[in-house]
Amino acid sequence: MNRIIGTSLACAGLLTATAACGGSDSGGKSGGPVTVTVMTWESPETNTAIKKALEGFKDDQIKVQLIDTPSGGYGDKLASLTQAKKLPDLFWCGNDTEQQYTSQGLLVDWSKKIEDGDGDFKADKFVGSAMTNWKTGDGLMGGLPSLMNTYGVWYNADAFKAAGIPEPKAGWSWDDMYSAAGKLANKGGAKYGLVADQLTGADGPFTMSMYSVSAGGAAFTDNVNHPTKAEIDDKYTEGVEKLAAAIKSGAVAPPGYDASNVPALFSGGKVPMMFGGQWLAAGFQTDKPKIKYGFAPFPQVNTPTTLYDSVGICTPEYTGDEDATYKVLEYINTKVWDAVLPASPVAPPAYTPAQESYFSALTKAGQNTVVDTVKADLAAEKTVGVRFTTQWASQVVDLTTAYWQPILNGKKPTSDLQTYVGKINDLIKSQG
Amino acid sequence: MNRDGRRRKVPRAGKVGRGLSRNAGSDVKAAYLFISPAIIGFTVFVVYPLVRSFYLSLTKYNGLSDPVFVGLGNFRRLFTVDPAFWPSLRATGYLVLLYVPLSLALGLALAVFCNQRFAGVRIVRTLAYLPVVLPAVATITLWKFILNPQVGLANTILDKLHLPTSDWLQSPAMSMPSIVIVMLWGVGGTMIIFLAALQAVPNELYEAARVDGAGPYSVFFRITLPMISPIMLLQVILQTTAALQTFNQPKILTNGGPGFSTNVLMLSIYNNGFSNLGRIPQLGYASAQVWVLFIVIIAVIALTAKFSSLWTYSDNTPD
Repeated sequence: MNRIIGTSLACAGLLTATAACGGSDSGGKSGGPVTVTVMTWESPETNTAIKKALEGFKDDQIKVQLIDTPSGGYGDKLASLTQAKKLPDLFWCGNDTEQQYTSQGLLVDWSKKIEDGDGDFKADKFVGSAMTNWKTGDGLMGGLPSLMNTYGVWYNADAFKAAGIPEPKAGWSWDDMYSAAGKLANKGGAKYGLVADQLTGADGPFTMSMYSVSAGGAAFTDNVNHPTKAEIDDKYTEGVEKLAAAIKSGAVAPPGYDASNVPALFSGGKVPMMFGGQWLAAGFQTDKPKIKYGFAPFPQVNTPTTLYDSVGICTPEYTGDEDATYKVLEYINTKVWDAVLPASPVAPPAYTPAQESYFSALTKAGQNTVVDTVKADLAAEKTVGVRFTTQWASQVVDLTTAYWQPILNGKKPTSDLQTYVGKINDLIKSQG
Repeated sequence: MNRDGRRRKVPRAGKVGRGLSRNAGSDVKAAYLFISPAIIGFTVFVVYPLVRSFYLSLTKYNGLSDPVFVGLGNFRRLFTVDPAFWPSLRATGYLVLLYVPLSLALGLALAVFCNQRFAGVRIVRTLAYLPVVLPAVATITLWKFILNPQVGLANTILDKLHLPTSDWLQSPAMSMPSIVIVMLWGVGGTMIIFLAALQAVPNELYEAARVDGAGPYSVFFRITLPMISPIMLLQVILQTTAALQTFNQPKILTNGGPGFSTNVLMLSIYNNGFSNLGRIPQLGYASAQVWVLFIVIIAVIALTAKFSSLWTYSDNTPD
């Protein structure tokens, strides 16, 4: 019996020791090179390109290892690794993850390093709005923005031509958009003229801010990272009423329309217009849809207004060697995109000197409308955040499902918008 | 002293007692040793998680920092603040009401059909049971394509037959019935248990009924159903428990939408406990939801068992 217990304890000890060998603390403080691990959510093709680019990183004291992992279920993977305290030294993260993890003290603060950086790798070389939004209320930065997400309206130029409607272009109005959607609905195998999950889904209230802000009204919230209030004014209500009317007429797909398959339907000519990000350009470049398509900025009321969003790279506070990790982070931001984006132009880098490779790749591929719209978005004077990044953001999603979507479907009156925003304000207050 | 006056040699009590106790003690030790794997497994995988989840339901816990005790705060939020909770409970109840009777009726009908003797009955049984052994996620994903309102097979066929089409999963009214249709795809599991029950009904009863002039309906309702009623009770409990814990179908097909129409309690628990990328998990709150679901399941099973004597047949007559 004693022997069995002894063997069991030995096995348990061995397992514990094995588990302790994983994670990001694979540093070489004892003299050998430090290993910096990197995990992305990219496709296998993009990961191969990143891996190849990382081979160019030369430092005898640092070894870079890209973790081979499928991109699917990245959120679950991240949650598990976080709870197990086994996060890689550098991992792809959204602005919301960075904000929430930083506020929990889980990430290394890079704010001082990037503010006082040497050479060209400095805060002022990044897109300004990205740097502002990656700072917590205390001025900490648990990661650095790497790629910008810009949004707009993808349209089927063939469908517009067939319907005799002018193609969308910068400066077009919301009324133009809904009118075009009405004319394109139920034609050529398309059921709706416009599919805009970003307006009808969980992020809809934030996207609608573009209408009110463009019209000179108030944004849905004063700050997505550290909100003190949510607000719905007359201009905002006007925008909601127009959207609800377009949904009622069948021009715009209602809330609940399955958005997961929309890019494929767009490529097949079954969706003539859709809201979407610039990253779809990379997929279209590979898949080559049979339709002629374009990418236009969001419509406006008076002034151009767009959505702000960016993704980045975060570092856990228990990274083995902060300096080594920062060197690799710098290399990714300054060199890796130049090697990766020409083959797969997914997004413009947040580090502005690296943006040229992205735009030249798109230009070379003839995606000129994408270049113009992304440039316009990056230069937009007025931007609104895509969603709350706070820890209680999921509770707002439930409120949105309970109020926003029934209002758009005409099942609740627009006057309920005030009840909706009141409940969000109660939530903000209750969270201090 | 016994009847013939001879004194029976009786062993001394103390000696007997010591011998018995030595054997009994050894048996008890062996018994505990044999059941210890089950006890350890039950303690580690059932009792501990149960106790731990109850504790977590009284805390604010995100899995990243230590739990903070909030008393009944999570339950208060659940019942009074959360706009998703009551719709989730309603969606779960609606799913149970739709799925359980339909699965029992269809499973029984299929079992009765497969209980006949005709050429190819084994192939029919195999085909009926096949969906149960196919990978669930793959078949559910396939159903998602079939039910796509724009390019799906279901609407294409209905359209060709000049029948009305539907938005299926994307319609608040049709989303739950669509999910139930997909769940009924696996009704072969119910069928196989009913088939076993049907085959256990003694043939003499049917023969006697026929001799008495009973028709097929009388035979079914007066002999078959009463005879398989204990299995029916088992099926009601199994199907109700499974329906209350439905997760795969709504997760893959609708993710709870449109609105809250298919946001069943299990899915709500998952979404709160294992949030999407960029959201912090609410493990304490999800644990509170788990306890509500646990109590609902216990209550439903207890009620079913309590009233089962009204409609289940049991042969309690002494031999």
